[in-house]
Amino acid sequence: MASAVGEAVTAPSGRATVAWRGRPRGNPWRRPWVMEGFTWLYIIWSIVPIAIAVLFSFNKGASQATWQGFSTKWYIGNSVNSVLHNPSLHQAVIQTLNLAVLTTLITVPIGVGFAIGIDRWRSRTSTGLNFVMIFSFVIPELLLAVGLFLLVTQALTFIRLGTTAEVAGLVVWNISWPAIIVRARLVTIGRTYEEAATDLGASRLGAIRRVLIPLLMPAIFASAVLVFASTVDDFVIVEQLSSTAPTQPMSVLIYSNVHGGLSGPALNALATIMLFFSLVVAVVGFVAYRWMTRGERTKSSSAALTSIAGM
Amino acid sequence: MAGGNVRLESLTKQFDDVTAVDDISIEIQAGEFFSLLGPSGCGKTTTLRMVAGFEPPTSGKILLDGVDVGNWPPHRRNVNTVFQSYALFPFLTVAENVAFGMKYKSVPKSEINTQVAEALALVQLSGYEKRRPNQLSGGQQQRVALARALVLRPSVLLLDEPLGALDAKLRRTLQVELGALQKQVGITFMYVTHDQEEALTMSDRLAVMNRGRIAQLGTPDEVYNEPADAYVADFLGVSNLMDARVEPGGNGGGPCRVRLGDFVLEAAAGQLDATGAVKVAIRPERINLHPYEAGGANRVPGMVERLVFLGSTTQIFVRLATGSALQTLVRNDGAALPYSQGTPVSVGLPADSLRVLPDPGVSVAEIRDKTLGDQLLDLTSTTSS
Repeated sequence: MASAVGEAVTAPSGRATVAWRGRPRGNPWRRPWVMEGFTWLYIIWSIVPIAIAVLFSFNKGASQATWQGFSTKWYIGNSVNSVLHNPSLHQAVIQTLNLAVLTTLITVPIGVGFAIGIDRWRSRTSTGLNFVMIFSFVIPELLLAVGLFLLVTQALTFIRLGTTAEVAGLVVWNISWPAIIVRARLVTIGRTYEEAATDLGASRLGAIRRVLIPLLMPAIFASAVLVFASTVDDFVIVEQLSSTAPTQPMSVLIYSNVHGGLSGPALNALATIMLFFSLVVAVVGFVAYRWMTRGERTKSSSAALTSIAGM
Repeated sequence: MAGGNVRLESLTKQFDDVTAVDDISIEIQAGEFFSLLGPSGCGKTTTLRMVAGFEPPTSGKILLDGVDVGNWPPHRRNVNTVFQSYALFPFLTVAENVAFGMKYKSVPKSEINTQVAEALALVQLSGYEKRRPNQLSGGQQQRVALARALVLRPSVLLLDEPLGALDAKLRRTLQVELGALQKQVGITFMYVTHDQEEALTMSDRLAVMNRGRIAQLGTPDEVYNEPADAYVADFLGVSNLMDARVEPGGNGGGPCRVRLGDFVLEAAAGQLDATGAVKVAIRPERINLHPYEAGGANRVPGMVERLVFLGSTTQIFVRLATGSALQTLVRNDGAALPYSQGTPVSVGLPADSLRVLPDPGVSVAEIRDKTLGDQLLDLTSTTSS
């Protein structure tokens, strides 16, 4: 009996006895050509149009379709229709930055407050608020924009269309970013640090100020970057809530001029500047986030947060 | 630093419908090293968290030097906690971590640096002031956590499994240091652990907890050598538990006569006036093995099932003729052991080491299941001792 078992185990390769459940064809560790190829197709498909738009902002001629040589005239050179010299164009750049800074400064503190409230004071209110935070990811932006437009023009008429209304709308639209990202970090941090702080003599608020906020800084910063970038890109809300030309940011100006009116490579230049802002903010955000979480590299939690933050 | 008397009166904590701590009363003397020992989920950490102020008690009192602090917030209580996860603030240096609580103690600025340096010297971390917690090893981080709490001179220091995250060797070194440190500073230590070795080596007194209640309270010697029940006997180190029955009339003064299967043995320790079903317990180191042929009182025939070499000792698993499995320890003194798997032996269970314990109404296997989980985690540490 024992020897029979021994034989079965030591039988060489067992060609006849082992039933293959379908032999693997070819080399199972070969490069996944199909997947790689598809990935590259996707990357090219998404980058090429942007690259062309950026390229034509440096066109020497006035065409958006025929390349006539390199020039920066649409940025600074052209004394009539460059971003620098055309008042409506550089006004749009300033308005975009203005909206982005204001929205970020207002949204992030409120969002952080929501996150701490939702996570640390469990109640029916916090559950409801948490639902609203996720809800705003789901509802169409246009619906919110139209709703806000009606609200501002019909009911809350003291809020004028223009910068005030735009900022109010952008804050509402973007508040989920800090609320959700900061909350994710709150969950991974846990309560022990706050307990340690109160144990050492800090009051509840003291613990939040001296311990929780510093620990949340990476998440706060990451969400600020996202709010800023998303505001620079925003079109639907600002289109509804802007009024006179000086309150129109870049996205609205590009949209209203692309079919006629003021067109040409100057618009490409404007779009490129918009893209540039978003990229710079994203890169700065990524580097700063890595720096702020440098002590936590081994923790999987920061990797999770990085992926949530999309950086 | 004066004071440090802790009195828990009928302390109870319920989470929804689970009773985590069930009506416990303990008095801890000032300057005492007191441990709460038990498996996970026995309520020991919840008790500590209530003393610290992180959980409000459902009912009962927490008296610190005679004052009921049960509903005070943590920052008002003169107790400090050392957390299992250390909870050092990662964005502060070691010195800043230690100085964190000084801000609330109205200590003059010039004093702060001196006291921080003293505290770090106390835990042998002088020169590490400028480091960040993540640049320290686990043991060093634990020392910083200790310094951070001690620098505030609490009347009671609460320690929640402070050595739990460290490896066995470091844990043993720190056990000795922690014990010495407590004697040096004279602060009351309330220490929570699931490691029986830790609790036995360091404590002045300890409470063994089970299901939110105190199973036994006493000195390490009392608890180890005179366990009150089968649960305590099994939880405190490896103990051999067997189902037995007191012989009719076997409890009339002197040793108690108990029946194990077909064998009647004399037991001279524990509850000698018990009747009916009981458990009998004996420590592995008290069992002696004899050649199978050798007769004698209080011996049961058995067979060696397995030998495990542990270094200074060898653990021998024996199956008795009654069906019970026992483990024994034999010192390795150089001579070859005359046992191997299958060797028949005569197992001597000396009467004065055989302890009669009240029957908890559950089988030996059930008790073991409950206490085994945590002990398995510590298998490496207990086997190398």
